[in-house]
Amino acid sequence: MKIRYLLLHAYGMGGTIRTVITQANAMAAAGHDVELVSVLRRRDKPHFAVDSRVRLRTLADLRPGARAPHARGVLGRYRARRTARLAFRPPRHIPFSEPGHKAINRQIELAVIHYLSELRDGIVVTTRPALNILAAEYATGGVIRVAQEHVNLGTHKEDLRAAIIRCYPRLDAVAVLTSRDREDYLRMAPGTRVTRIPNAVHSLRQKPSTCASHIALAAGRLRPQKGFDLLIEAFAQLIDEFPDWQLRIYGTGDRHDQLRALIDQHHLYNHVLLMGRTDQLDEEMAKASMYVLSSRYEGLPMVLIEAMSHGLPVVSYDCPTGPADVISDGKEGLLLPPGDVPALAEGMRRLMGDEGLRARMGDAALGTVERYSPEAIRGQWTELFDDLLAERRAHRGL
Amino acid sequence: MRAHAELAQVWPRDGRLRLVGALHGHDPVGSAAAPWTLLLVLRDVPEHVLRYPAPLDGPAFDVSLPAADLAPEGVALPACWDLYFSQEPASGARERLRVGRVLDDIEGKKKIMVFPGQSVASGDGTALVKPYYTIKDNLSVEVTPAP
Repeated sequence: MKIRYLLLHAYGMGGTIRTVITQANAMAAAGHDVELVSVLRRRDKPHFAVDSRVRLRTLADLRPGARAPHARGVLGRYRARRTARLAFRPPRHIPFSEPGHKAINRQIELAVIHYLSELRDGIVVTTRPALNILAAEYATGGVIRVAQEHVNLGTHKEDLRAAIIRCYPRLDAVAVLTSRDREDYLRMAPGTRVTRIPNAVHSLRQKPSTCASHIALAAGRLRPQKGFDLLIEAFAQLIDEFPDWQLRIYGTGDRHDQLRALIDQHHLYNHVLLMGRTDQLDEEMAKASMYVLSSRYEGLPMVLIEAMSHGLPVVSYDCPTGPADVISDGKEGLLLPPGDVPALAEGMRRLMGDEGLRARMGDAALGTVERYSPEAIRGQWTELFDDLLAERRAHRGL
Repeated sequence: MRAHAELAQVWPRDGRLRLVGALHGHDPVGSAAAPWTLLLVLRDVPEHVLRYPAPLDGPAFDVSLPAADLAPEGVALPACWDLYFSQEPASGARERLRVGRVLDDIEGKKKIMVFPGQSVASGDGTALVKPYYTIKDNLSVEVTPAP
Protein backbone atom coordinates (compact mmCIF):
# COMPACT_ATOMS: atom_id res chain seq x y z
CA MET A 1 0.00 0.00 0.00
CA LYS A 2 1.32 3.45 -0.91
CA ILE A 3 0.69 6.04 1.81
CA ARG A 4 1.81 9.68 2.00
CA TYR A 5 1.49 11.70 5.21
CA LEU A 6 1.47 15.48 4.82
CA LEU A 7 2.60 17.57 7.78
CA LEU A 8 3.00 21.32 7.85
CA HIS A 9 6.39 20.90 9.52
CA ALA A 10 7.62 17.33 10.02
CA TYR A 11 10.85 18.71 11.51
CA GLY A 12 9.07 20.43 14.44
CA MET A 13 8.15 19.13 17.89
CA GLY A 14 4.38 19.40 18.47
CA GLY A 15 1.99 16.67 19.60
CA THR A 16 0.42 16.24 16.15
CA ILE A 17 3.86 15.88 14.58
CA ARG A 18 4.78 13.19 17.08
CA THR A 19 1.65 11.12 16.55
CA VAL A 20 1.77 11.38 12.74
CA ILE A 21 5.42 10.27 12.70
CA THR A 22 4.47 7.36 15.01
CA GLN A 23 1.80 6.34 12.47
CA ALA A 24 4.17 6.67 9.50
CA ASN A 25 6.84 4.62 11.29
CA ALA A 26 4.32 1.90 12.22
CA MET A 27 3.04 1.68 8.63
CA ALA A 28 6.57 1.49 7.21
CA ALA A 29 7.47 -1.22 9.74
CA ALA A 30 4.47 -3.22 8.49
CA GLY A 31 5.98 -3.15 4.99
CA HIS A 32 3.94 -0.38 3.38
CA ASP A 33 5.46 2.19 1.02
CA VAL A 34 5.41 5.34 3.16
CA GLU A 35 6.34 8.91 2.28
CA LEU A 36 6.37 11.69 4.88
CA VAL A 37 5.94 15.08 3.24
CA SER A 38 6.93 18.20 5.14
CA VAL A 39 5.31 21.24 3.59
CA LEU A 40 7.92 23.47 5.26
CA ARG A 41 11.39 22.72 6.45
CA ARG A 42 13.06 24.98 9.00
CA ARG A 43 15.51 22.51 10.55
CA ASP A 44 18.14 20.12 9.35
CA LYS A 45 16.89 17.07 11.24
CA PRO A 46 13.42 15.98 12.43
CA HIS A 47 12.91 16.34 16.20
CA PHE A 48 11.18 12.94 16.42
CA ALA A 49 12.86 9.80 15.08
CA VAL A 50 11.68 8.89 11.58
CA ASP A 51 12.04 5.22 10.56
CA SER A 52 14.70 4.75 7.88
CA ARG A 53 12.11 3.04 5.66
CA VAL A 54 10.02 6.24 5.56
CA ARG A 55 10.95 8.55 2.67
CA LEU A 56 11.15 12.19 3.77
CA ARG A 57 10.34 14.93 1.31
CA THR A 58 10.10 18.70 1.65
CA LEU A 59 7.97 21.01 -0.49
CA ALA A 60 9.37 24.37 0.67
CA ASP A 61 12.82 24.50 2.21
CA LEU A 62 12.94 27.60 4.41
CA ARG A 63 16.30 26.96 6.05
CA PRO A 64 18.69 29.88 5.79
CA GLY A 65 20.88 29.28 2.77
CA ALA A 66 18.36 27.05 0.99
CA ARG A 67 17.94 28.34 -2.56
CA ALA A 68 15.57 27.88 -5.42
CA PRO A 69 17.15 26.08 -8.41
CA HIS A 70 19.03 28.40 -10.75
CA ALA A 71 16.67 29.85 -13.36
CA ARG A 72 17.74 29.61 -17.02
CA GLY A 73 16.76 31.87 -19.91
CA VAL A 74 14.58 34.96 -20.06
CA LEU A 75 11.33 33.05 -19.46
CA GLY A 76 12.89 31.04 -16.62
CA ARG A 77 14.09 34.18 -14.86
CA TYR A 78 10.70 35.81 -15.37
CA ARG A 79 8.96 32.81 -13.80
CA ALA A 80 11.45 32.71 -10.93
CA ARG A 81 10.81 36.39 -10.13
CA ARG A 82 7.08 35.82 -10.30
CA THR A 83 7.30 32.83 -7.94
CA ALA A 84 9.48 34.80 -5.53
CA ARG A 85 6.88 37.59 -5.41
CA LEU A 86 4.22 35.04 -4.45
CA ALA A 87 6.09 34.43 -1.21
CA PHE A 88 4.80 37.82 -0.05
CA ARG A 89 1.15 37.08 -0.86
CA PRO A 90 -1.30 35.39 1.50
CA PRO A 91 -2.71 31.97 0.61
CA ARG A 92 -5.89 31.95 -1.45
CA HIS A 93 -7.72 28.92 -0.01
CA ILE A 94 -6.76 28.79 3.63
CA PRO A 95 -9.08 30.57 6.06
CA PHE A 96 -7.49 33.40 8.01
CA SER A 97 -8.13 31.87 11.44
CA GLU A 98 -6.31 28.62 10.58
CA PRO A 99 -3.06 28.99 12.54
CA GLY A 100 -1.27 27.64 9.45
CA HIS A 101 -2.42 30.73 7.52
CA LYS A 102 0.63 32.63 8.77
CA ALA A 103 3.10 29.94 7.74
CA ILE A 104 1.64 29.18 4.31
CA ASN A 105 2.12 31.99 1.78
CA ARG A 106 0.74 31.79 -1.75
CA GLN A 107 4.00 30.33 -3.08
CA ILE A 108 3.90 27.49 -0.55
CA GLU A 109 0.18 26.98 -1.11
CA LEU A 110 0.86 26.52 -4.85
CA ALA A 111 3.63 23.99 -4.07
CA VAL A 112 1.15 21.95 -1.99
CA ILE A 113 -1.51 22.18 -4.70
CA HIS A 114 1.02 21.08 -7.33
CA TYR A 115 2.04 18.09 -5.19
CA LEU A 116 -1.54 17.02 -4.43
CA SER A 117 -2.83 17.40 -7.99
CA GLU A 118 -0.23 14.98 -9.36
CA LEU A 119 -1.19 12.08 -7.08
CA ARG A 120 -2.91 9.30 -9.02
CA ASP A 121 -3.00 6.25 -6.74
CA GLY A 122 -2.71 5.01 -3.18
CA ILE A 123 -3.55 7.17 -0.18
CA VAL A 124 -2.73 10.67 0.96
CA VAL A 125 -3.23 11.56 4.62
CA THR A 126 -3.42 15.27 5.45
CA THR A 127 -3.08 16.31 9.07
CA ARG A 128 -4.50 19.81 9.64
CA PRO A 129 -7.44 21.83 8.30
CA ALA A 130 -5.34 23.89 5.86
CA LEU A 131 -3.99 20.76 4.21
CA ASN A 132 -7.32 18.92 4.43
CA ILE A 133 -9.02 21.77 2.56
CA LEU A 134 -6.36 21.78 -0.16
CA ALA A 135 -6.64 17.97 -0.51
CA ALA A 136 -10.42 18.21 -0.88
CA GLU A 137 -10.04 20.82 -3.63
CA TYR A 138 -6.97 19.59 -5.53
CA ALA A 139 -6.10 15.94 -4.80
CA THR A 140 -8.60 14.87 -7.44
CA GLY A 141 -6.41 12.77 -9.73
CA GLY A 142 -7.37 9.37 -8.32
CA VAL A 143 -5.66 9.28 -4.93
CA ILE A 144 -7.74 8.43 -1.84
CA ARG A 145 -7.92 11.43 0.52
CA VAL A 146 -7.92 10.82 4.26
CA ALA A 147 -7.99 13.92 6.46
CA GLN A 148 -6.99 13.97 10.14
CA GLU A 149 -8.46 16.40 12.65
CA HIS A 150 -6.42 16.65 15.84
CA VAL A 151 -8.59 19.28 17.49
CA ASN A 152 -12.18 19.83 18.46
CA LEU A 153 -14.52 21.32 15.85
CA GLY A 154 -15.66 23.78 18.53
CA THR A 155 -12.18 25.33 18.72
CA HIS A 156 -12.29 26.33 15.02
CA LYS A 157 -13.48 29.86 14.24
CA GLU A 158 -16.41 30.70 11.97
CA ASP A 159 -14.48 31.15 8.68
CA LEU A 160 -12.60 27.88 9.15
CA ARG A 161 -15.75 26.01 10.14
CA ALA A 162 -17.48 27.23 6.98
CA ALA A 163 -14.59 25.95 4.84
CA ILE A 164 -14.66 22.61 6.68
CA ILE A 165 -18.41 22.22 6.14
CA ARG A 166 -17.93 23.00 2.44
CA CYS A 167 -14.87 20.82 1.81
CA TYR A 168 -14.90 17.82 4.13
CA PRO A 169 -17.85 15.96 2.56
CA ARG A 170 -15.73 15.68 -0.61
CA LEU A 171 -12.94 13.80 1.17
CA ASP A 172 -12.89 10.00 1.21
CA ALA A 173 -12.65 9.95 5.01
CA VAL A 174 -12.10 12.25 7.96
CA ALA A 175 -10.42 10.73 11.03
CA VAL A 176 -11.01 12.24 14.47
CA LEU A 177 -9.68 11.35 17.91
CA THR A 178 -12.81 11.03 20.07
CA SER A 179 -16.47 9.95 19.85
CA ARG A 180 -17.63 13.45 20.70
CA ASP A 181 -15.61 14.85 17.76
CA ARG A 182 -17.13 12.24 15.48
CA GLU A 183 -20.65 13.32 16.47
CA ASP A 184 -19.77 17.01 16.03
CA TYR A 185 -18.28 16.62 12.56
CA LEU A 186 -21.14 14.38 11.41
CA ARG A 187 -23.66 16.96 12.59
CA MET A 188 -21.88 20.00 11.14
CA ALA A 189 -20.74 18.48 7.86
CA PRO A 190 -23.37 15.88 6.97
CA GLY A 191 -22.36 13.45 4.28
CA THR A 192 -18.78 13.24 5.53
CA ARG A 193 -17.38 9.81 6.30
CA VAL A 194 -16.05 10.30 9.83
CA THR A 195 -14.03 7.62 11.60
CA ARG A 196 -12.71 7.70 15.15
CA ILE A 197 -9.12 6.53 15.50
CA PRO A 198 -7.28 7.63 18.64
CA ASN A 199 -3.56 8.27 18.80
CA ALA A 200 -1.26 5.51 19.98
CA VAL A 201 0.99 5.80 23.04
CA HIS A 202 4.66 5.72 22.13
CA SER A 203 5.23 2.51 24.09
CA LEU A 204 3.38 0.07 26.32
CA ARG A 205 6.56 -1.41 27.76
CA GLN A 206 6.62 0.89 30.79
CA LYS A 207 7.69 0.40 34.36
CA PRO A 208 4.48 -0.05 36.38
CA SER A 209 3.77 1.91 39.54
CA THR A 210 3.17 0.01 42.78
CA CYS A 211 0.46 2.57 43.73
CA ALA A 212 1.96 2.55 47.25
CA SER A 213 3.67 5.95 47.31
CA HIS A 214 1.88 9.04 48.52
CA ILE A 215 2.40 11.06 45.35
CA ALA A 216 -0.35 12.35 43.05
CA LEU A 217 0.88 13.49 39.64
CA ALA A 218 -0.43 15.89 37.01
CA ALA A 219 1.29 17.17 33.88
CA GLY A 220 0.68 19.75 31.18
CA ARG A 221 1.30 23.32 30.17
CA LEU A 222 0.70 25.75 33.03
CA ARG A 223 -2.24 27.34 31.20
CA PRO A 224 -5.87 27.95 32.24
CA GLN A 225 -6.98 25.08 29.97
CA LYS A 226 -5.30 22.52 32.24
CA GLY A 227 -7.26 23.63 35.32
CA PHE A 228 -4.32 23.34 37.73
CA ASP A 229 -5.90 26.19 39.72
CA LEU A 230 -8.91 23.90 40.37
CA LEU A 231 -6.59 21.03 41.23
CA ILE A 232 -4.67 23.11 43.80
CA GLU A 233 -7.94 24.27 45.39
CA ALA A 234 -9.08 20.64 45.61
CA PHE A 235 -5.80 19.46 47.11
CA ALA A 236 -6.02 22.22 49.73
CA GLN A 237 -9.09 20.41 51.10
CA LEU A 238 -7.12 17.19 51.60
CA ILE A 239 -3.81 17.96 53.29
CA ASP A 240 -5.16 18.01 56.85
CA GLU A 241 -6.36 14.47 56.32
CA PHE A 242 -3.36 13.36 54.24
CA PRO A 243 -0.39 15.40 55.49
CA ASP A 244 2.24 13.09 54.00
CA TRP A 245 0.87 13.26 50.41
CA GLN A 246 2.44 15.38 47.69
CA LEU A 247 0.92 16.71 44.50
CA ARG A 248 3.57 17.07 41.78
CA ILE A 249 2.64 19.15 38.75
CA TYR A 250 4.98 18.82 35.76
CA GLY A 251 5.16 21.43 33.03
CA THR A 252 5.93 25.06 32.33
CA GLY A 253 3.78 27.91 31.15
CA ASP A 254 2.76 31.51 31.58
CA ARG A 255 0.51 30.84 34.62
CA HIS A 256 3.42 29.66 36.77
CA ASP A 257 3.45 32.74 38.99
CA GLN A 258 -0.33 32.74 39.52
CA LEU A 259 -0.25 29.07 40.51
CA ARG A 260 2.67 29.75 42.87
CA ALA A 261 0.64 32.55 44.49
CA LEU A 262 -2.34 30.19 44.91
CA ILE A 263 -0.08 27.61 46.57
CA ASP A 264 1.25 30.26 48.98
CA GLN A 265 -2.24 31.59 49.70
CA HIS A 266 -3.41 28.12 50.82
CA HIS A 267 -0.09 27.37 52.59
CA LEU A 268 0.46 24.35 50.35
CA TYR A 269 4.19 24.96 49.76
CA ASN A 270 5.05 21.73 51.57
CA HIS A 271 2.55 19.67 49.59
CA VAL A 272 2.08 21.01 46.06
CA LEU A 273 5.22 21.17 43.93
CA LEU A 274 5.55 22.89 40.57
CA MET A 275 8.16 20.54 39.15
CA GLY A 276 8.94 22.36 35.90
CA ARG A 277 9.97 20.57 32.74
CA THR A 278 11.32 17.02 32.79
CA ASP A 279 12.57 14.68 30.10
CA GLN A 280 11.95 11.75 32.47
CA LEU A 281 8.19 11.85 32.86
CA ASP A 282 8.08 8.07 32.44
CA GLU A 283 10.26 7.56 35.54
CA GLU A 284 8.28 10.15 37.50
CA MET A 285 5.00 8.43 36.63
CA ALA A 286 6.35 5.09 37.83
CA LYS A 287 7.04 6.69 41.23
CA ALA A 288 3.55 8.18 41.56
CA SER A 289 0.41 6.55 42.89
CA MET A 290 -2.35 8.27 40.91
CA TYR A 291 -2.78 10.64 37.97
CA VAL A 292 -5.12 13.63 38.10
CA LEU A 293 -6.57 15.38 35.04
CA SER A 294 -8.22 18.68 35.97
CA SER A 295 -8.53 20.16 32.46
CA ARG A 296 -11.36 22.44 31.38
CA TYR A 297 -11.13 20.91 27.90
CA GLU A 298 -8.86 18.57 25.98
CA GLY A 299 -8.41 17.01 22.55
CA LEU A 300 -7.40 13.47 23.33
CA PRO A 301 -5.18 13.72 26.44
CA MET A 302 -2.26 11.44 25.58
CA VAL A 303 -0.59 12.08 28.92
CA LEU A 304 -3.59 10.44 30.61
CA ILE A 305 -3.14 7.35 28.46
CA GLU A 306 0.60 7.37 29.16
CA ALA A 307 -0.12 7.49 32.91
CA MET A 308 -2.40 4.47 32.51
CA SER A 309 0.41 2.63 30.71
CA HIS A 310 2.29 2.83 34.04
CA GLY A 311 -0.64 1.23 35.85
CA LEU A 312 -1.70 4.50 37.47
CA PRO A 313 -5.36 4.96 38.42
CA VAL A 314 -6.89 8.20 37.18
CA VAL A 315 -9.00 10.89 38.78
CA SER A 316 -10.33 12.99 35.90
CA TYR A 317 -12.82 15.64 35.03
CA ASP A 318 -15.30 14.42 32.42
CA CYS A 319 -14.41 17.40 30.22
CA PRO A 320 -14.80 17.65 26.46
CA THR A 321 -13.21 15.68 24.93
CA GLY A 322 -11.38 12.48 25.58
CA PRO A 323 -11.50 11.32 29.21
CA ALA A 324 -14.89 9.61 28.84
CA ASP A 325 -13.61 7.83 25.71
CA VAL A 326 -10.59 6.50 27.56
CA ILE A 327 -11.87 5.55 31.03
CA SER A 328 -15.11 4.30 32.57
CA ASP A 329 -16.10 5.77 35.91
CA GLY A 330 -15.26 3.28 38.65
CA LYS A 331 -13.11 1.01 36.48
CA GLU A 332 -9.70 2.59 35.72
CA GLY A 333 -10.45 5.59 37.87
CA LEU A 334 -13.10 8.21 38.54
CA LEU A 335 -14.84 10.61 36.15
CA LEU A 336 -16.08 13.78 37.82
CA PRO A 337 -18.23 16.72 36.73
CA PRO A 338 -15.89 19.24 35.04
CA GLY A 339 -14.96 22.31 37.04
CA ASP A 340 -16.38 20.91 40.31
CA VAL A 341 -13.66 21.42 42.95
CA PRO A 342 -15.36 19.60 45.87
CA ALA A 343 -16.09 16.63 43.56
CA LEU A 344 -12.45 16.53 42.47
CA ALA A 345 -11.34 16.64 46.12
CA GLU A 346 -13.78 13.86 47.02
CA GLY A 347 -12.57 11.69 44.12
CA MET A 348 -8.95 12.16 45.13
CA ARG A 349 -9.84 11.44 48.78
CA ARG A 350 -11.36 8.08 47.78
CA LEU A 351 -8.17 6.99 46.04
CA MET A 352 -5.71 8.55 48.51
CA GLY A 353 -7.40 6.72 51.37
CA ASP A 354 -7.46 3.29 49.71
CA GLU A 355 -4.26 1.74 48.41
CA GLY A 356 -6.10 -1.45 47.40
CA LEU A 357 -8.53 0.55 45.26
CA ARG A 358 -5.62 2.38 43.62
CA ALA A 359 -3.93 -0.92 42.78
CA ARG A 360 -7.14 -2.47 41.39
CA MET A 361 -7.92 0.55 39.22
CA GLY A 362 -4.27 0.74 38.14
CA ASP A 363 -4.44 -2.88 36.98
CA ALA A 364 -7.64 -2.11 35.04
CA ALA A 365 -5.84 0.86 33.46
CA LEU A 366 -3.04 -1.45 32.26
CA GLY A 367 -5.65 -3.60 30.53
CA THR A 368 -7.55 -0.72 28.95
CA VAL A 369 -4.45 0.95 27.59
CA GLU A 370 -3.74 -2.05 25.34
CA ARG A 371 -6.24 -0.47 22.95
CA TYR A 372 -3.81 2.39 22.41
CA SER A 373 -0.73 0.33 21.57
CA PRO A 374 1.04 1.31 18.32
CA GLU A 375 0.05 -2.10 16.89
CA ALA A 376 -3.64 -1.80 17.81
CA ILE A 377 -3.87 1.71 16.33
CA ARG A 378 -1.99 0.65 13.20
CA GLY A 379 -4.60 -2.10 12.80
CA GLN A 380 -7.38 0.48 12.82
CA TRP A 381 -5.67 2.59 10.16
CA THR A 382 -4.95 -0.44 7.99
CA GLU A 383 -8.59 -1.46 8.18
CA LEU A 384 -9.75 2.03 7.13
CA PHE A 385 -7.29 2.21 4.23
CA ASP A 386 -8.18 -1.32 3.03
CA ASP A 387 -11.90 -0.48 3.12
CA LEU A 388 -11.40 2.74 1.17
CA LEU A 389 -9.23 1.04 -1.47
CA ALA A 390 -11.77 -1.81 -1.83
CA GLU A 391 -14.61 0.67 -2.25
CA ARG A 392 -12.63 2.59 -4.86
CA ARG A 393 -11.95 -0.62 -6.83
CA ALA A 394 -15.61 -1.66 -6.59
CA HIS A 395 -16.69 1.81 -7.74
CA ARG A 396 -14.44 1.62 -10.78
CA GLY A 397 -15.72 -1.90 -11.50
CA LEU A 398 -12.23 -3.37 -11.38
CA MET B 1 26.06 10.29 54.51
CA ARG B 2 26.92 12.94 57.09
CA ALA B 3 24.57 13.39 59.99
CA HIS B 4 22.09 16.18 59.36
CA ALA B 5 18.65 17.46 60.34
CA GLU B 6 16.17 16.26 57.71
CA LEU B 7 13.21 18.55 57.13
CA ALA B 8 9.71 17.25 56.53
CA GLN B 9 7.94 20.61 56.53
CA VAL B 10 8.81 24.29 56.59
CA TRP B 11 6.06 26.69 57.67
CA PRO B 12 6.71 30.39 57.10
CA ARG B 13 3.39 31.80 58.33
CA ASP B 14 1.74 33.97 60.99
CA GLY B 15 4.98 35.86 61.64
CA ARG B 16 6.90 32.75 62.60
CA LEU B 17 9.22 30.27 60.95
CA ARG B 18 8.45 26.68 62.01
CA LEU B 19 10.58 23.68 61.12
CA VAL B 20 9.39 20.07 61.41
CA GLY B 21 11.59 17.03 60.81
CA ALA B 22 14.01 14.59 62.38
CA LEU B 23 17.75 14.25 63.03
CA HIS B 24 19.28 11.71 60.72
CA GLY B 25 22.45 9.66 61.05
CA HIS B 26 23.25 11.03 64.47
CA ASP B 27 24.28 8.70 67.27
CA PRO B 28 22.29 9.78 70.34
CA VAL B 29 24.21 7.51 72.79
CA GLY B 30 26.01 9.45 75.47
CA SER B 31 24.64 12.78 74.40
CA ALA B 32 20.95 12.09 74.82
CA ALA B 33 20.75 14.16 77.95
CA ALA B 34 22.31 17.32 76.58
CA PRO B 35 19.67 19.75 75.28
CA TRP B 36 19.51 20.55 71.58
CA THR B 37 19.57 24.03 70.14
CA LEU B 38 18.60 25.39 66.74
CA LEU B 39 21.35 27.73 65.53
CA LEU B 40 20.99 30.43 62.90
CA VAL B 41 24.41 31.54 61.74
CA LEU B 42 24.81 34.80 59.84
CA ARG B 43 26.68 33.71 56.73
CA ASP B 44 28.88 36.82 56.38
CA VAL B 45 29.53 37.15 60.14
CA PRO B 46 29.72 33.55 61.44
CA GLU B 47 30.22 34.61 65.05
CA HIS B 48 26.76 36.23 64.91
CA VAL B 49 24.55 33.31 66.01
CA LEU B 50 20.88 33.15 67.09
CA ARG B 51 19.99 30.25 69.42
CA TYR B 52 16.59 28.64 70.11
CA PRO B 53 15.91 25.65 72.34
CA ALA B 54 14.86 22.66 70.22
CA PRO B 55 13.71 19.78 72.42
CA LEU B 56 13.60 16.47 70.57
CA ASP B 57 11.01 13.72 70.69
CA GLY B 58 13.21 10.75 69.83
CA PRO B 59 14.97 12.07 66.74
CA ALA B 60 12.01 14.31 65.81
CA PHE B 61 12.06 18.09 66.10
CA ASP B 62 9.34 20.73 65.82
CA VAL B 63 10.77 24.15 66.51
CA SER B 64 9.70 27.70 65.66
CA LEU B 65 10.96 31.24 66.05
CA PRO B 66 9.72 34.76 65.32
CA ALA B 67 10.56 35.76 61.74
CA ALA B 68 11.36 39.30 62.94
CA ASP B 69 14.36 37.97 64.90
CA LEU B 70 16.13 37.47 61.58
CA ALA B 71 16.08 41.17 60.74
CA PRO B 72 17.70 42.66 63.89
CA GLU B 73 19.13 46.13 64.01
CA GLY B 74 22.78 46.24 63.14
CA VAL B 75 22.63 43.49 60.52
CA ALA B 76 23.14 44.85 57.03
CA LEU B 77 20.60 43.73 54.44
CA PRO B 78 20.50 41.69 52.35
CA ALA B 79 21.54 39.04 54.84
CA CYS B 80 21.54 35.28 54.83
CA TRP B 81 21.23 32.84 57.73
CA ASP B 82 22.33 29.19 57.62
CA LEU B 83 20.51 26.75 59.94
CA TYR B 84 22.02 24.03 62.18
CA PHE B 85 21.14 21.80 65.12
CA SER B 86 23.70 21.51 67.91
CA GLN B 87 24.18 20.53 71.52
CA GLU B 88 26.78 23.25 72.09
CA PRO B 89 27.86 24.63 74.39
CA ALA B 90 26.38 22.38 77.11
CA SER B 91 28.03 19.13 76.05
CA GLY B 92 31.21 20.76 74.85
CA ALA B 93 30.60 19.03 71.53
CA ARG B 94 31.23 21.26 68.53
CA GLU B 95 29.32 19.15 66.02
CA ARG B 96 26.72 21.10 64.08
CA LEU B 97 24.10 19.26 62.03
CA ARG B 98 23.07 21.18 58.93
CA VAL B 99 19.31 21.57 58.38
CA GLY B 100 18.21 20.43 54.93
CA ARG B 101 16.22 17.95 52.91
CA VAL B 102 18.33 15.39 51.12
CA LEU B 103 16.59 12.04 51.63
CA ASP B 104 13.82 12.35 49.05
CA ASP B 105 13.97 11.96 45.25
CA ILE B 106 13.50 15.59 44.24
CA GLU B 107 16.47 17.19 42.50
CA GLY B 108 16.83 20.93 42.26
CA LYS B 109 14.71 21.93 45.28
CA LYS B 110 15.89 25.53 44.99
CA LYS B 111 13.39 26.02 42.17
CA ILE B 112 10.76 23.41 43.09
CA MET B 113 10.28 23.62 46.87
CA VAL B 114 9.83 27.34 47.12
CA PHE B 115 8.51 29.19 50.17
CA PRO B 116 6.86 32.58 50.48
CA GLY B 117 8.55 35.48 52.26
CA GLN B 118 7.10 37.22 55.32
CA SER B 119 7.30 40.98 55.88
CA VAL B 120 8.68 42.02 59.27
CA ALA B 121 9.58 45.37 60.85
CA SER B 122 13.28 46.14 60.58
CA GLY B 123 14.67 49.37 61.96
CA ASP B 124 12.78 52.16 60.20
CA GLY B 125 11.46 50.01 57.38
CA THR B 126 10.37 46.49 56.61
CA ALA B 127 12.28 43.42 55.53
CA LEU B 128 11.25 40.25 53.73
CA VAL B 129 12.22 37.01 55.50
CA LYS B 130 12.20 34.09 53.10
CA PRO B 131 13.44 30.53 53.68
CA TYR B 132 14.91 28.74 50.69
CA TYR B 133 16.74 25.57 49.72
CA THR B 134 20.31 26.06 48.58
CA ILE B 135 21.69 24.26 45.53
CA LYS B 136 22.88 21.58 47.98
CA ASP B 137 19.30 21.19 49.33
CA ASN B 138 20.16 22.79 52.68
CA LEU B 139 17.83 25.32 54.26
CA SER B 140 18.86 28.94 54.60
CA VAL B 141 16.88 32.11 55.19
CA GLU B 142 17.31 35.21 53.07
CA VAL B 143 16.45 38.64 54.50
CA THR B 144 16.07 41.46 52.00
CA PRO B 145 14.89 45.05 52.37
CA ALA B 146 11.22 45.19 51.42
CA PRO B 147 10.38 47.85 48.85
